[in-house]
Amino acid sequence: MKRRRYIAWIFLAPSLILYLYFFVYPTIEAVRISFYRWSGFTANMEFIGFENFSKLISDDSFLAALKNTLLLLIIGGICIFLLAFIFSLFLGSGIKGKKVYRTIIFFPFIIAPVVHAIYWGLLVYNPRTGMLNQFFKLLHIETLAKFTFTDIRHIFGSVLFVVSWSSVGFYLILLMAGIERIPPYLYEAARIEGATELQMFFNITLPLVKEVLVIAMIFWGINAIKMFDLLYAFGGILPPRSLWTNAIYLYIVGFGKRDPIFQLGYASAIGVVTLLLVVIIAFIIRKLIRREIYEY
Amino acid sequence: MRVNKFSFKKLIMHAILVIWCTSIGMLLYFVITSSFKTNKTVFKQLWSLPEKLNLASFANAWSNLDFGRYTFNSVFVVIISVALVIIISAPASYALTRMKMRFANPITFFYLAGMGIPVQLLFIPLFKIMAPLNLINSLSGLIVIYVTLSIPFTVFLLTGFFLSIPSELEDASYIDGCNEFQTFFKIMVPMATPGIVTAAIFNFIGLWNEYMLALIFITGKENKTLSLGLYSLYSSLQYTSDWVSIFAGSVLVIIPTMIIFIVLSEKLISGITLGAIK
Repeated sequence: MKRRRYIAWIFLAPSLILYLYFFVYPTIEAVRISFYRWSGFTANMEFIGFENFSKLISDDSFLAALKNTLLLLIIGGICIFLLAFIFSLFLGSGIKGKKVYRTIIFFPFIIAPVVHAIYWGLLVYNPRTGMLNQFFKLLHIETLAKFTFTDIRHIFGSVLFVVSWSSVGFYLILLMAGIERIPPYLYEAARIEGATELQMFFNITLPLVKEVLVIAMIFWGINAIKMFDLLYAFGGILPPRSLWTNAIYLYIVGFGKRDPIFQLGYASAIGVVTLLLVVIIAFIIRKLIRREIYEY
Repeated sequence: MRVNKFSFKKLIMHAILVIWCTSIGMLLYFVITSSFKTNKTVFKQLWSLPEKLNLASFANAWSNLDFGRYTFNSVFVVIISVALVIIISAPASYALTRMKMRFANPITFFYLAGMGIPVQLLFIPLFKIMAPLNLINSLSGLIVIYVTLSIPFTVFLLTGFFLSIPSELEDASYIDGCNEFQTFFKIMVPMATPGIVTAAIFNFIGLWNEYMLALIFITGKENKTLSLGLYSLYSSLQYTSDWVSIFAGSVLVIIPTMIIFIVLSEKLISGITLGAIK
């Protein structure tokens, strides 16, 4: 039977229609709205050019949110990939119980972010009800026993730990999959030549896992930049400014927390900047790790 | 000497891994045991097991705090969304990888680019588009959003799977006189089942756990999903201090994803590997 090429479009049509109307069109529309002053869904839109963007540059709250977004992306990323590499070395060393460890480390990934926020917020970090301060008291580490992990100065660091702790499993699985594809004879040859574990890691594992690493890092970049659920719930009733990222600030400016604000044009401008950030990050990761694919 | 050093290294590794895994086990232990305690005892006897299984928190959360309703909403919205996103993404992924259609590569890229769009950018325009369609504060509206926003990642996973299926069976099917639809449903769908299962689990977990989109598009109490209901309860905590109901709600939220994890974790883990790394 002759294959009819137009049939492919029938297969494609339902998803394409939804995608165009509820995803692509709103994306374009968001960029358009960012050039307008628009203060409420029923209000009139007024074209103001780049005014929203120039306002962003001098908006302290936005700059704080942007800083947090970058901190989450970079510090969180370093923690996650460092931990993921350490665990992948551990689990790749022929240790017993490899699958059990891997499965447990992955487990927090399937727990709802709001439950993470509740557990860590109420039962771990909270100075009155949490166990962390009590734990440090037990160990007689006075400075940490009195440390308020939920203080507005420390809360971002505290949540950064939760983010890394709960996400590392996913990236560990990606990295391990990449590492397991490396043919074992390369390591055997290196061992015969007298290479140390560290040399093997930097000269065999790292270069050959590059392709997977790029995918994993781009995944992290996208997830970090649009992360909302955990951070927002972590802040409780009204997340303090020290917890705001672009994603949270956009929501607060656009919809407000307790009282609606509805600076819709301004909020859209935040979204456009965030989108640019994604593009830049993806570009940097690609450039940073040049795509030399090793054939083996 | 060498042997000793070797096992010492192993011991350190085990110790670190066990500590890490214990910290994960603690989340489950504390959330679950706390849900069976009472508001008076929950923080005073944090470490101990509850004296008796106090189910009052669950009863209270389920009926007084409407978590029963929220559970129903979540089950309804998430199951239909997952089914729909698979039903529309699987044929699309097949067409893009297997049907030698024109512009297949640019269209695939066009779909995948959606993964990079920060969802928050879409809040305002989507609200504007959904309002005249009466899809604000409606479960069907939430389904439309969930399905659409899940398309890019689902297509990403499924195109990976379809690419990995050898073409001999497909060719044979065409030679035997099957048309495109028969080939897709009778040959390709069964072959791609592991991929479809992975995509379904991933979407289920993601949508079951998310509350951000529900927070934007669900404005009435009666249409809240479980995660959103839990978030609302937690963020109003300072007025109620009904701690145990929060933990009971947390248990309700994690039960379905935990069951899936216990039954399908191997499938899920190997699925990430197969789908994301081609």
